[in-house]
Amino acid sequence: MPDESSRTDPVQPASVLPPEHSGEGIPEPSAYERTIGWLASLPWWAIILGVVAVAVLYSMLTSVAYQRVIRFLTDDPQSSTTDLFSVVQIVGEPQSIIGRYVGETEDSVQTVIYNLLDDVIDHHLVTQTGFIESESPAAITVRTLDNQLITIPKDRIETEERTEDRDGVRITLTYIDRVTVTGIMTDRDDDTMTIRTVNEETTTFSTDRILSRESTVIPCDTDANPGCEDREVVTIERQGEIITGTLNTLSQTNMSLALPGGDTREIRQSDVDYFHVPTLTIAINQDRADQAIAPGDEVRIAFVEGTDITAALEELNSLEDIPVPLQYADGEARAALVSYPDIDAALEATGTGEVSGLVYLASDEDRLAVADWMDENPDSGVILPTPPRECQRGCEVTVKLVDETISGAVLEETDDEITVQTVAPEFVVLDRDSILENRRMEPGVCALNNLRGCNAGIFLTLRVTFIAYALALLIGLIIGLMRVQHNPFLYAFSTLYVEVIRGIPLLVILLYAGFVVSPWLRDNTPISLSDEWEAIIGLAFGYGAFIAEIFRAGIQSISRGQMEAARSLGMSYPQAMRYVILPQAVRVVLPPLGNDFIAMLKDSALISVLALPDLLQLGRLYVSRTFRAFEGYNTVAILYLLMTLFLSMLVRIIERRSRLPG
Amino acid sequence: MSQNSEPIIKIRNIHKRFHTLRGTVHALNNVTLDVMPGEVVVVVGPSGSGKSTMLRCINRLETIDGGSIVVDGIPLTGARNINKVRAEVGMVFQSFNLFPDRTALGNIMLAQRVVRKRRRAEAEAKAHDLLVKVGIPEKADAYPGQLSGGQQQRVAIARALAMDPKIMLFDEPTSALDPEMIKEVLDVMMALAKEGMTMIVVSHEMGFARAAADRAVFMDMGQIVEEDVPDVLFSNPSHERTKLFLSKIL
Ligand SMILES: Nc1ncnc2c1ncn2[C@@H]1O[C@H](COP(=O)(O)OP(=O)(O)O)[C@@H](O)[C@H]1O
Ligand SMILES: [Mg+2]
Repeated sequence: MPDESSRTDPVQPASVLPPEHSGEGIPEPSAYERTIGWLASLPWWAIILGVVAVAVLYSMLTSVAYQRVIRFLTDDPQSSTTDLFSVVQIVGEPQSIIGRYVGETEDSVQTVIYNLLDDVIDHHLVTQTGFIESESPAAITVRTLDNQLITIPKDRIETEERTEDRDGVRITLTYIDRVTVTGIMTDRDDDTMTIRTVNEETTTFSTDRILSRESTVIPCDTDANPGCEDREVVTIERQGEIITGTLNTLSQTNMSLALPGGDTREIRQSDVDYFHVPTLTIAINQDRADQAIAPGDEVRIAFVEGTDITAALEELNSLEDIPVPLQYADGEARAALVSYPDIDAALEATGTGEVSGLVYLASDEDRLAVADWMDENPDSGVILPTPPRECQRGCEVTVKLVDETISGAVLEETDDEITVQTVAPEFVVLDRDSILENRRMEPGVCALNNLRGCNAGIFLTLRVTFIAYALALLIGLIIGLMRVQHNPFLYAFSTLYVEVIRGIPLLVILLYAGFVVSPWLRDNTPISLSDEWEAIIGLAFGYGAFIAEIFRAGIQSISRGQMEAARSLGMSYPQAMRYVILPQAVRVVLPPLGNDFIAMLKDSALISVLALPDLLQLGRLYVSRTFRAFEGYNTVAILYLLMTLFLSMLVRIIERRSRLPG
Repeated sequence: MSQNSEPIIKIRNIHKRFHTLRGTVHALNNVTLDVMPGEVVVVVGPSGSGKSTMLRCINRLETIDGGSIVVDGIPLTGARNINKVRAEVGMVFQSFNLFPDRTALGNIMLAQRVVRKRRRAEAEAKAHDLLVKVGIPEKADAYPGQLSGGQQQRVAIARALAMDPKIMLFDEPTSALDPEMIKEVLDVMMALAKEGMTMIVVSHEMGFARAAADRAVFMDMGQIVEEDVPDVLFSNPSHERTKLFLSKIL
């Protein structure tokens, strides 16, 4: 401690208290106190702004509307999923697939399963004619008519037909050439692959709808599967669902209902037990039917209390050839609507001439009352000028679906509700070796353990930006290096690229990539770019020019002496670039590169012109669906802002860490 | 050292012109110079007289427009592997030109690894030895920005020596240094001269020239005006231009 003496130097009055002493007297300020101190040192407007920003963010992120938008914009990822991929595997060996079934009684189950498997496991049959070359218990070898030898395992032969010929035994075979399995891959290891061929289906319904119920308990096989529970398998006859809604369309085979919640439901006529479509009935006083109406006359029309008179009048307007008195809406006559407590009273009033006519909209059964009354009172003076007409759209309809029988395992049962698993998931385990061809691999559900499935919203924006930026860095580095060469060809080429690309709006470059370059490649080369790659290539080439200029400036900012020192030590030009110039240039260009990354993240919003469901596109979709423009665009903006703020923080940290000592 | 009568550097009638926007500068005009192995040559002359250009031509950092340069038997014009020649010729710059993103040790190791393809341990051992030689072993892990000018220049000398050069070129190695640091650099150079290194030194340090140099060369306007033993050239020059120049700097 040679400095100790200078501390007690009497010339310095400030050192009356040695620093160690003050450290003991005043304890280290806590993190909390330091934060408060830091806050206090901010200007007052910054504090107010900060508090407002926090409050706005908090209220937005906790509001249900915003949460809904955020979920929409982030592709609604789940934390994990068992569904990894949808796949189609082509396998050669049918035996390895059929007969892997769990549970239930032998007969009923096998038919169910067989039907289901038919959808997902497809046998491709081939018919061949030829002469038998050789035959063993396991296989037949056939010389086909075009002189090829094929060997077919006997267990794959479906039908065969032999005829003796003078050339030998002529045979026509139909055999399984290949089998296709469609399903969702749930698991795989090095040798096998497990595919779920059938989706489990569960249905929950009110116990009120149960008409009859048979149940058997399948005891658990505790030997094979310790700790399992017995399962109850039920067959329930269930009353058909009763649906009430507004009729959208009605055709011979289908009907479409608008449900009160805003959804629509398509119903096949074959599923319908019965339904009541309100029917418009028009009755008219016989005398009035022939009378002309003068302008200013009043036409009195009866209706029954409780009928939907607006719908009835609308229906009436859609009809033509209605006798004069009821054409009240043409501006000549005034219409007065008179209500009656029931249909009998209204008809009576029509008969006596109290009203000119009656408009009545009711379902089948109620309408019969009109016909009955007419039968009973043939002399009442009431006539039915048009046949009753069913409402075609816009009226309330109640549909009763047919009763049905469902069977399956009971998953959960309360007094009100029962949940039945009607179809058990079906797993097929395939040997990797037996897979001949992997036809399709589609990403499954978006989840954290399956990010391949996350193809929209914020994930798409981030993925496109990262890949495009990596490519742009590569392009920028190469072009930037070409820009500092003396070779006139390299210099001219790179300068042309930079000047051309920089002079064209990024949006136009993206449109070129998507609608010029990509179709050309598709037509003239085997390369077929997905929408995502079109966007990535457009962004990468567009930004490559800017990044090239950053690299060029960075390289040129390193003093000539560095290159000379490296060369004088015997390094070649590429070695000097690689080991001396570029490492220094990279430090110089890190901040502008970081800025360009942030800019690219923002500019990636342009890729929605290529019909990609990126963050902005989903936001627009949300807005056009819900008309909640404020919430929708706010959330889009905030998500971009959060990402860019986070990134600029990261850039600043990297910048600080790359600073040289001294 | 000079029992070999063949010069290690043979410069014959070289010309160098720079074409700039303001016109053509004739930086070297018919320069001829021989340097024997182990010889120490000091070059003096006014600013802009072509001293640096001559050194840079020997190292092929500049190409020559006429004449010939032969270094260690290899003619520089049309030499196939110029990088090999460069590795035999070490150069120390006025502005040090250390690599700022590498430590002293890293600066000395880089070219050994990249050019000489030495293994890490070997290069590191060599770098340590050289740091001891230039007197700053404790600065091995310091970055150039953390070193004084004198220390930086000594690291630069060590960096050049790491390539085991046969010739060392010094271009005003002490001109950018504070006076109190000049000596530490000159001491290193002096020691090098004593070991028998062939050196061409552009410097106006008369003390060093008298003590270490075998010969002094005076250049002006791109030409070698006169050359002689340092004592003679400095105290009794035969040309007017030399006298004028010496009167200005002494
Ligand atoms: N790269 C260059 N471009 C143009 N002129 C140059 C260049 N290098 C040196 N010169 C000119 O050549 C002449 C000699 O320069 P230099 O060798 O650096 O002189 P010295 O080192 O003796 O001061 C000067 O006139 C200088 O301006
Ligand atoms: Mg100079």
